[in-house]
Amino acid sequence: MIAYNSQSLDNLYVQEQAEMAKGADCITAEEYNAIITAYPADLYTPNPYMRIGIFILTAIILLFSFGLFCLLSIAGGEGAITFLCVLFGGGSYALAEYMVREKKHYKSGADAALIWGAGIFLLSALGIATDADAPVWVWCLAALILSLFFVLRFADVSMSIVTHLSLLGLIFSGCVQLGNIAKLIIPFMVMLASAGVYFLSVKLIAIHTYRHYKKCLQMLQCCALITLYLGGNYFVIREVSNEMFNLDLQPGQDIPGGWFFWILTVALPLLYIYAGIRKKDRILICVGLLLIAGIVYTVRYYHSVAPLEVAMTLGGLAMIGIAYALIRYLKTPRHGFTEASSDERHAMEAMQIESLVIAQTMSHAATPRPDQFEFGGGSGGGGGASGDY
Amino acid sequence: MDIDLFEQLQKEGTISAASAEKVRTITTTRLFSVHWELKTILYLGVLLLSGGLGILVYKNIDTIGHQVILLAIALACGGCFYYSFRHKLPFSREKVPAPNSFFDYILLLGCLLLITFITYLQVQYNVFGTRYGAATFMPMLVLFFSAYYFDHLGVLSMAVTNLAAWMGVTVTPLQLLSANDFSSYTLVYTGLALGALLIVAALLSHRLRFKAHFAFTYSNFGTHVFLIANLAGMFAAYDGPYGLWFLLLVAATVFFYSQAMKQGSFYFILIITLYAYIGLSFVIVRLLMRTESEGGIYAGLLYFIMSGIGAILLLINLNKKLKRA
Repeated sequence: MIAYNSQSLDNLYVQEQAEMAKGADCITAEEYNAIITAYPADLYTPNPYMRIGIFILTAIILLFSFGLFCLLSIAGGEGAITFLCVLFGGGSYALAEYMVREKKHYKSGADAALIWGAGIFLLSALGIATDADAPVWVWCLAALILSLFFVLRFADVSMSIVTHLSLLGLIFSGCVQLGNIAKLIIPFMVMLASAGVYFLSVKLIAIHTYRHYKKCLQMLQCCALITLYLGGNYFVIREVSNEMFNLDLQPGQDIPGGWFFWILTVALPLLYIYAGIRKKDRILICVGLLLIAGIVYTVRYYHSVAPLEVAMTLGGLAMIGIAYALIRYLKTPRHGFTEASSDERHAMEAMQIESLVIAQTMSHAATPRPDQFEFGGGSGGGGGASGDY
Repeated sequence: MDIDLFEQLQKEGTISAASAEKVRTITTTRLFSVHWELKTILYLGVLLLSGGLGILVYKNIDTIGHQVILLAIALACGGCFYYSFRHKLPFSREKVPAPNSFFDYILLLGCLLLITFITYLQVQYNVFGTRYGAATFMPMLVLFFSAYYFDHLGVLSMAVTNLAAWMGVTVTPLQLLSANDFSSYTLVYTGLALGALLIVAALLSHRLRFKAHFAFTYSNFGTHVFLIANLAGMFAAYDGPYGLWFLLLVAATVFFYSQAMKQGSFYFILIITLYAYIGLSFVIVRLLMRTESEGGIYAGLLYFIMSGIGAILLLINLNKKLKRA
């Protein structure tokens, strides 16, 4: 199913492993060279920065070619534009196939831009053909089929996010059709589907046949854990049911079975972290830590325990304290955990990113003015956590 | 590392038994590192604490409580710097590693609290006078000193943003475009001067071998600020002499390009190419608009398609060149 030559991908994996072994001084330079010649990989993968540039430029080319053809066929009306969208969707996909199979592009930026272009053009064709009033489930189904196909064919990580979200969208819009019972079962359906996706990807990732989809499956685990939490989060359920099912709750009023969702809201992230520590699973730990913010936000939204600044100060003190205690505790490695950095090679690059995050989020805090209370705490959380990938 | 793979390699005779054994030992004794997780928690803690205290001071500015808070800030700040001075490794012109991961963030917290304190003194009592932007000048000095003395890249980045604020430009990464009004020429010229200054700082760090690893931070801010100011100058001269600004852009591109090739930096090559591409496209579009014909629109669309392909080929070529270097 995968468009790439399976042998090439395997060889690439061997080369990466060899590079790691060489970096850790396990194998000699001669052995490394012998491995590289024994397992040649003919895939074209430019530097990650170049990949970003090629992605942007490919998107520009697609956009302006589409503009040119639109201008040429402007007399044809709506039908012509629909046809053009289908043509461009098909064309982008065919070009992506060509790049991958003939030019051996692998994560070059051009492939991702073409795949995304194909998806967007085909969905636009659907939108124009139906005058943009197709039911939601049709959109979700179309997105699900397209993105699933692209994931299977190109093992594209970003597309796996789309797949997961469109699956949930499909379930959500399907449940809404059921009428009155919908608001009762939707949270459970979303959680059930997320849990299903999570455990399925955990299963699949261990199977040799699916080794080329490892990164997609990891991303799916991340997304599934987050949507599983959101599906059971008190804030999400209360506000969504209020918006969509006209529950008309007043501030202070509870949703039916609210205590159950409060338990989920608080317990799930802690459960993630606990399971992550037990299994030494980084995805569980990181998502759990991220979702701690979800607990804090939800609790503070309904029960103002302390003014924001006091909560910030105390929370900050507590976090520094916890981190200090853990660093002291893990100074000598315990239970297989260590606080030392495992990968010295990328340390310098990570330091640069860290310094940019600091400049972004803390320069405001450095010069506070009475009229300005935006300290960018929210964006900082995302920035910090993403440093692990 | 994948033990099964290396065992297979050993069977094939590609690697020696000793090497395979080394891989096995390293993999089986490998620890699960929570280094970045702990750092993230520390970072968020420092962010929240310094932000919270900053708001507390200003919210309570007219009550008696604020002096208590101020005292607490002073004490905490003193504590942070005491810790930093006690634990720091001896100063050197080279890179000095942090003694532990806690150190970096305590120093950062100390700097943030000190700035809160100085700013408060300035706002309330006007301690440093009102001339020459003293309110941002003092924190800047503190930050630059701490960055060099304790060798801290994060503090250095904050010092650079502070230097820019003192000169009147916002260079916080995500606000660089939105917070500045680049249609005013004062700001454009300030930006050019600041960018050039930072580039010189980067070059000097390298040349004098004085904290050479700071060069990236300087040239990163410098390149972005200079090129954005340059493009802004060009856009602002919409009906005027944008050709002159384009010449400056060409000269700057050539200079930055040679620097980036020397350092073998993919990152700089990419951003320089993109900035240059924007500048070139602006000039071409302006020239085509002058023709005031329908053919101009088609030519413009064709230009973007062809130039996009050209730029991709250029990037692919540069990638190859840099990889070989």
